[in-house]
Amino acid sequence: MHLVLGHLQDACCAGVLARLEARGLPARLMATPLESPARFAWRLDGDGLTTHFALDDGPSIDIDSVLVRSTGWIDPDGWEPADHAYMQSEFQAALLAWLAGLNCPVVNRSSAALWYRPLNPLLVWQPLLRRCGLLAPETVVTDDPDTAYAFGGRLEAAGVPGAVCTSLTRDIAWLVGRSDWIGLAAVQGRTPVCLVEPHGQTRPACIVGREVIWESSPSPEEISLEPGLLSLAAEAGLNFLEVATASSRRGLAVVLVEPLPRLDHFDPVTREKILDTLTDLLAPSHRVQEARP
Amino acid sequence: MILVAGGIADKVTELVCARLNDCGYAHRFLDLGRYPSGHGIAARWAGAGPEGSIHGPDWQVDLADIGGVYVRFLGPEGRLLPADLAPATATTLRAEADTALMALLEDLPCPVVNRLGGGMSNNSKPYQALLLTRAGFRVPPTLVTNDPDAARAFLAEQGELIYKSASGIRSIVRRLDPEQVDRLGLLRNGPAQFQRFVPGQDVRVHTVGERLFATRVRSKAVDYRYARRDGLAVEMEATELPASVASACRRIARDLELLHAGIDLRETPEGDWYCFEVNPCPGFLYYERQTGQPISTALAELLHNGVAAVPKQTGVAALR
Repeated sequence: MHLVLGHLQDACCAGVLARLEARGLPARLMATPLESPARFAWRLDGDGLTTHFALDDGPSIDIDSVLVRSTGWIDPDGWEPADHAYMQSEFQAALLAWLAGLNCPVVNRSSAALWYRPLNPLLVWQPLLRRCGLLAPETVVTDDPDTAYAFGGRLEAAGVPGAVCTSLTRDIAWLVGRSDWIGLAAVQGRTPVCLVEPHGQTRPACIVGREVIWESSPSPEEISLEPGLLSLAAEAGLNFLEVATASSRRGLAVVLVEPLPRLDHFDPVTREKILDTLTDLLAPSHRVQEARP
Repeated sequence: MILVAGGIADKVTELVCARLNDCGYAHRFLDLGRYPSGHGIAARWAGAGPEGSIHGPDWQVDLADIGGVYVRFLGPEGRLLPADLAPATATTLRAEADTALMALLEDLPCPVVNRLGGGMSNNSKPYQALLLTRAGFRVPPTLVTNDPDAARAFLAEQGELIYKSASGIRSIVRRLDPEQVDRLGLLRNGPAQFQRFVPGQDVRVHTVGERLFATRVRSKAVDYRYARRDGLAVEMEATELPASVASACRRIARDLELLHAGIDLRETPEGDWYCFEVNPCPGFLYYERQTGQPISTALAELLHNGVAAVPKQTGVAALR
């Protein structure tokens, strides 16, 4: 049985599920796999790790692969808030260990660090990007208005108007220009702000296994990034990772790292390729070779 | 220069500062109870690690001059929010400030006690148990399940069980007594973690870089941390570890890129050693006071001696 952990509204879940079923493979979509009516047992002892999983009161099933698109939020209905928070933590802890112990393809088999902090801003990825030889846009984090203003001045002198003020906790950003520095200084009276060098148009790419999938043909400069992008995914322990690149003053830079790739960032043709490659990763012995030209 | 970030009322942080003073090692204190109020960051990433400075109410340090960082993040109860902002706004701004500080500390090239990433495994005890076995530890037979029948079968097989939370939420370790066995049907509401009860004496190991401080704990309590609550005594003394156990302690700390960790072990009457968990932010004060083991001095030396004194932290564990 191939398990897809997530929701049908997620095009990635729906697409992979459809492909697995089209290949005649048993597949099941589940939002919270360790919740009743499913039964599971994860056991670690001197003989190693064993896991058992049943969809209901029936017999245990063999799991052939798991696509993880959700960490399994349980419905709060019927729970006291404190009990729900506790039980949510227990489910998440159990699911992380269960996925880590499965002896089949799991995409992504997350580390604890990414499992519990999946929404890291680009700033947090900087050490790993450097380690993989990848550029990131110049970034300043400061609560000092003069430092912020000087950064804006350097960018302007280099012909780059404004700076991008980026939230470190939410997926929002604003372009701040010359008229915005006073308002920015007011925010800096309360918290450091993150300012990023504006970049050119973004180009998304998706790393699936050992393949980097670009929208349309990659340029030579983009191809030259591929070893670094593959290292990035490998170092992070991920085999499904979205990045976006864009031109910066110092060259082609990575401007987004997303361990939960979003298909709506890609055009329809690229989406299909990502889903096909992802499905191959989950069911490698069931590739539909004859369907390809 | 050493940067200490923590709560002014946190006794472990207070001890670290006191020990740095005793040793004559210069340090600056970043008060996380008030941060970001009264503190500031000016850091720039331009192809390399961060450059710039960090400052407190009456001090400023160039990031390049920071040779070591000791950090103990606080829960919300230890934090002051500005009174002139709506709580939701203040909480949002503080989260921004915290993320900025964490990202900065994670990316400093000096020893950081501790970087966040490696410690995240403590939020899933069974996941961490897997890592412990890979590091060479023996862990008690463990079952995580939502299946009452599986729990009953495990009990019948193992004889005596304890249960505790699988997550990082602190729970008191309890034996599975007949009353609890009657409630196993409730597992259908959510999973729980069971372990074979392992008799013996607890040994807490604190790692500081490659140095180990092992403390033997004598108590009749199942969970000695709560012994006094149950009217039971606790005695502690410094002890030695077998070479293989010491090696596993160093390995798990290295694997998790933790320069300082608290490792919970138990030695059975037969001389077998079991590991229960690794705490990435250990409150070692209790053990140091009971035994006189120089844990805080070792920490001070590690922070002072910088990169030459510790295993290389790549920072990759933050994401791996």
